[in-house]
Amino acid sequence: MKKFRDIEQLSAYLDGQLSPSDSARVESRTSSDPELDSVLSDLRAARGILRKLPQRKAPRNFTLTRAMVGLKPPLPRTFSIFRFSSAFATILLVLTFAANILAPKMGFGAAAPVAEYALGMGGGGGCDTCSPEMFAADAPAATEAPVATELPALAPPIETGITATPELLPMSTETIRIAAPTEIPTAKDAGTLEVPQDQPPVTNDALIPLTWQIGLLVIVLLSALIMYGLRQSAIRKWK
Amino acid sequence: MDENALIHSAQNGDLDSFNTLILHYQDSVFHTALRIIGDEDLAQDAAQEAFISAFRNVASFRGGSFKAWLMRMVTNACYDEFRRQKRRPTTPLEPDTADGEEMDSPRWLADKGMTPAEKFEADELEHAIQHCLDALPTDFRSVVVLADIQGMDYSEVATASRVPLGTIKSRLARARLRLRECLRSFEELLPSSFRLQEEGDL
Repeated sequence: MKKFRDIEQLSAYLDGQLSPSDSARVESRTSSDPELDSVLSDLRAARGILRKLPQRKAPRNFTLTRAMVGLKPPLPRTFSIFRFSSAFATILLVLTFAANILAPKMGFGAAAPVAEYALGMGGGGGCDTCSPEMFAADAPAATEAPVATELPALAPPIETGITATPELLPMSTETIRIAAPTEIPTAKDAGTLEVPQDQPPVTNDALIPLTWQIGLLVIVLLSALIMYGLRQSAIRKWK
Repeated sequence: MDENALIHSAQNGDLDSFNTLILHYQDSVFHTALRIIGDEDLAQDAAQEAFISAFRNVASFRGGSFKAWLMRMVTNACYDEFRRQKRRPTTPLEPDTADGEEMDSPRWLADKGMTPAEKFEADELEHAIQHCLDALPTDFRSVVVLADIQGMDYSEVATASRVPLGTIKSRLARARLRLRECLRSFEELLPSSFRLQEEGDL
């Protein structure tokens, strides 16, 4: 068996890939070595057979369509504006829903301003999240107020929004009544207490008004519709 | 056909220009895929994949032989096809007859090598050559197809195969040696001008 290096040289010689000096060397060797010459003939024959192999025609056209290569029609510039507005409105819409759901749980929202209002007015407005201890800590002296301790135990509770008359109750007592308005007032006090008429009612309205949400929804839907129209128009023009 | 202008247009996303290039090269691409894979349907798939891949990557073409670059796409597509076949062999586990009964001696159980009778009956030279090509390792096959069947020079084959020139030279020599051995068994099918010489004590 000839060395593979020789066969490689012969193969390259057939293809004209050798330098003139190497080609001359191969020619001289093949002329003096019949075995090497035989190998060269075999390689030449094998190569010739392959080269004579008829070229097969493509059975069909392989031309590409836009869909095959994932090309999309060029969209007008306004498309990006509507895309942005649609996305922005969608995000806002989701945020408004989230705010309306989470606000009451977090202690924000509609209840907070009412509580502030009630406190500001000095009334017994609701503070759902406040505990009596919170107020007691702030006003320890108030718990010792004589009026509070002298109240009869059987007095019926009254509704929220009770305000003590300034001439009968000192400020400390008023603070206690804010903290626990349903426990302290009595029938005796009822005659001296009055319910303010100007306090707004406590409602459970959402933090973000419904009209805002509807507006955002309209923007989202309109933008989507316009984008669809622009895309279809671009596709029609492209075809 | 101004190939450079068409390539430039294709690089700018002009699909029509690229389709013109496809029409020019599709026979070569399909023929190469057919000789490497050995199955017409799979070769069509590989050729189509090669053109799709070529269009998507045409921006990366930096000049030189476009044919060689295209052949790299098709050889890659063929290798992908081989890998797919390895992962998902399509041979049915329980081949049935037309009546739905299991075959007694299904063809897939038979020896893949050709019997002497089959060899004798192989009246087409093309089949014999394809048989020998199929017997080559894939790397050798792609090199010999590109060099000897497509007539590309060594540098083009190196570009298409992404291997050094020396490796191309070596693989081609080995592939031709093996083909010579294989074709010797089909001697009676070969044209007289291509009859291989008797093997000596090589």
